[in-house]
Amino acid sequence: MITRFWAETATALVTLAFGLVVVWGALEFGIGWDSSGPQPGAFPFYTGALVALASVGTLVVTFAQRRRGAPIVGEIFLDRERAGRVIAFFAPLVGFVLITAFAGMYVATIAYLFYAMRFQGGYGWLVSVASALGAALVFYLVFERFFQIGLLKGPVERLIGL
Amino acid sequence: MDNIASLMHGFSVVLTTHHIMLMMAGVLLGILVGVLPGLGAPNGVSLMLPLTFTMDPVSAIILLTSLYWGALFGGSTTSILFNIPGEPSSVATTFDGHPMAKQGRATEALSFAFLSAGIGALAGVILITLLSGWVAKFALRFSSPEYFAVYFMTFASFIGLGGASPFKAVVAMGVGFALASVGMDSVSGNIRLTYEFDILLGGISFLIAVIGLFGIGELLLTMEEGLRFEGVAAKVRVRDVLRTAAKLPRYWVALLRSSAIGIWMGITPGGPTAASFMSYAMAKRSSRNPEKFGKGEPEGVIAPETADHAAGSAAMLPMLALGIPGSATAAVMMGGLMIWGLNPGPMLFIERPDFVWGLIASMYLGNVVAVVVVLATVPLFASILRIPFSIVAPLIVMICFIGAYTVASKEFDIWVALAFGIVGYIFKKLDYPIAPLILAMVIGDKAEDAFRQSMIFSQGSLSIFWSNPLVSTLMGIGLALLLLPLIGSAVRTLRGRTVTVAAKG
Amino acid sequence: MKSFSITAALAGAIAISGATAAHAWQPTKPVEFVVTSGAGGGTDNFARMIQSIISKHKLIDQPIVVVNKGGGSGAEGYIHGKAGKGDAHRVVFGTNNAYLLPYVAKLGYKVSDLTPVAALALDEFLLWVKGDAPYADAKSYIEAIKAKPMGFKMGGSQSKDTDQTLTMMIQEATGAKMIYVPFQGGSAAAVQLAGGHIDSNVNNPNENIGQWKAGQVKPLCVFSPVRLAKGEPVFEGKGWGDIPTCKEAGLPIETFQMPRTVWLPAEVPADAVAFYEGVLEKVSKTPEWQEFVTRTAQTARFMKGKELADFVARDDAANKKVFQAEGWVVN
Repeated sequence: MITRFWAETATALVTLAFGLVVVWGALEFGIGWDSSGPQPGAFPFYTGALVALASVGTLVVTFAQRRRGAPIVGEIFLDRERAGRVIAFFAPLVGFVLITAFAGMYVATIAYLFYAMRFQGGYGWLVSVASALGAALVFYLVFERFFQIGLLKGPVERLIGL
Repeated sequence: MDNIASLMHGFSVVLTTHHIMLMMAGVLLGILVGVLPGLGAPNGVSLMLPLTFTMDPVSAIILLTSLYWGALFGGSTTSILFNIPGEPSSVATTFDGHPMAKQGRATEALSFAFLSAGIGALAGVILITLLSGWVAKFALRFSSPEYFAVYFMTFASFIGLGGASPFKAVVAMGVGFALASVGMDSVSGNIRLTYEFDILLGGISFLIAVIGLFGIGELLLTMEEGLRFEGVAAKVRVRDVLRTAAKLPRYWVALLRSSAIGIWMGITPGGPTAASFMSYAMAKRSSRNPEKFGKGEPEGVIAPETADHAAGSAAMLPMLALGIPGSATAAVMMGGLMIWGLNPGPMLFIERPDFVWGLIASMYLGNVVAVVVVLATVPLFASILRIPFSIVAPLIVMICFIGAYTVASKEFDIWVALAFGIVGYIFKKLDYPIAPLILAMVIGDKAEDAFRQSMIFSQGSLSIFWSNPLVSTLMGIGLALLLLPLIGSAVRTLRGRTVTVAAKG
Repeated sequence: MKSFSITAALAGAIAISGATAAHAWQPTKPVEFVVTSGAGGGTDNFARMIQSIISKHKLIDQPIVVVNKGGGSGAEGYIHGKAGKGDAHRVVFGTNNAYLLPYVAKLGYKVSDLTPVAALALDEFLLWVKGDAPYADAKSYIEAIKAKPMGFKMGGSQSKDTDQTLTMMIQEATGAKMIYVPFQGGSAAAVQLAGGHIDSNVNNPNENIGQWKAGQVKPLCVFSPVRLAKGEPVFEGKGWGDIPTCKEAGLPIETFQMPRTVWLPAEVPADAVAFYEGVLEKVSKTPEWQEFVTRTAQTARFMKGKELADFVARDDAANKKVFQAEGWVVN
């Protein structure tokens, strides 16, 4: 179980790090103000600094709320049951992206849709397989044939000559 | 009046069966393109461009502009039904449109969106008809300081909206600004914030961010709740569409104000996206029940839609008369004009009246056709919500990822969309406002460029922002929009009401 | 320049062997046209025009898919080309920024990662001032700038790109100093000049023709060794052919032109290069292409093999000199 206090703190730390990375990246260029106005790094530098400062602000507020015992920080951010539902949905998404990267988008589409329908939706094998293949075919016709936009292809797509 | 006579001539050019058929085809294709996020109007138009090379310019522009109107309508459809804006300019429509759909008022939301969009577009075209000569001259007065002032106004109208923690609002907007500056900096020619990763050279497209933040993020939230869409309880009937239409006149103030904002942003040219955000912000500010916004307030759909389409059509004028493309789609169309042998510029109105007035006439007809076509298909689209969520969710996932990929044909973008999905989920749960992030991503780099160009003009002196009446007025309005809410909250604090975190910070 | 003459000889050899074996290589899958600019840009029009001519005359049997990769001033597209090493189904369309970009920015590609195929046209640059400006010729405008250093504004597309390079060349050649204001693109620079916010620009003909027709801007001279093709009159009876070259007008810059180039990834078969050379040469001879070039007031010039290599070497050297003088070279 994660309370809101920890979620707030962790998020603020991440945005703090993001701000600092931006500041660091901006330092590659001048951050001052010369005769032609702000130098290329100035804008990202101050944006990054502002993000970092505001993140510290959120941290301070969050810790102050905890010391005061404000109810909001004690709220549950995510419990086991909810986390389970989110992960059950999110893991296949990561799977889809991974398969896309290695085997191409059509393979990933078929695999993901089949998994989602069969195991998340509880449809029969035949319906799931047919829908997954059908969707891939529709995507192929709409994108590759009609709009002439190629989707990401991997070894399998190349094998069948797409 | 000359313009009216020219317009009648335009109608005589356009009113042929062939052209009407082209309009229908364009609108239908456009809806398809708009519904598929990532594909979007600019893509759709550039894909159709080669087909138009063999057509005469009037037919060609009718096809392309109809496709554009269709795409704008299609973009609103997915905003409302799935919280995935098909077009950047329909981001603001999600704020209230999607909550309405979730409450089972999808038909109402869609009807409001389409009808007000039609009214906005009509307002834009009427303006083009009446003011074509004057507007072209007016827009010539815009240089970098004026552009900056317009962007500043948009940001200012958005700051101080909503009850989020000011720290979180700053973080959200700052993240958006930082992401917008990734890639080539056109003012210095330097490549910024890529950390030597070539994949970041092209920058991070806000479309990818939108797909992740809204599409995937929203799905994660829905899944966590274990909720399904409630489904559309009431049957979708033509009568519901008509009933919504009958309610529309009640919102005449919003319609007028939003049309004015849209037209203004279309000509100046701040573009449809800035227009829709600003119109939403103004609607919320001037509403008697601002707390209803974001929870399914019809005015929150009407305002951005009217302004979006008013700006979209008004922006055709600077494109034709000056060669300033007000949006990405207009840029592609301009490329088309040149390929057809037309040169955008003030002389186009004199040299090719057939083309210009044919186009303007087709904008009247095209929008009417588009509204009829989309209204006829509302029941069809709304019934998508009746499909079980276990099928709709994976389909949305597929559309999101394929959309993310087709934006620039980059595998990397799919990962970015996934990452933004997590960001969207966490930000929403922790009350970080997402709209400022998107707004900053969309116009952040333009605002920065305009500011730095102004500084090059003035050799580093800020006084350029008060150097003529036009830019002074724009900056003045911007400052007023920025300061009024701050003053308001300061007054409230002094009176000892609501001592909040905001006041402490 | 011994190493250079070797590459030139090689390129020549490729061209000759290609002529005899033009049918040895054929695309076996859809061909990808990579455009190194956003939709609607000059390079985009160039590539899509060629695509439509190829499909109209059926010069390639496979379908053609156009992708825009305009990030980083086009670097994104060239890097995409580099990633297709050895794959002759990926054709990259660009300008001289293919070999100039790596000088001014740290990028993940070098010119050697691409194989030059052909150039089809040269886009011209002109010196433009506002239509009602009191300058009759380039010389009097330059004199005015000299009288008021940093008092005049030259607008152009982007930074450290062709427009700014040419501006620096003008300053170098004449000693006149002005402020360079970078805009998003040539069309913005055109409108800013028409509105009188800047004093001059060095736009391509296509970017300023609308404003010229309306008399809002006027050309002073063209940075080309010879006058442009005659063509139709544009404004007050004057056409492209009536504009003096800058050298005639007293601005001592011999030539500044931007080639519209086509590339393949590195290590593609020589007969694949020959195949595309053949296709593009046929394109350059179609009436549609001639019409396109005339309308956009570019100079039609098909170059391949040694001729192209020579042109690239000259253009590269001239630009590099400016980059070094301005301190733009990063590596």
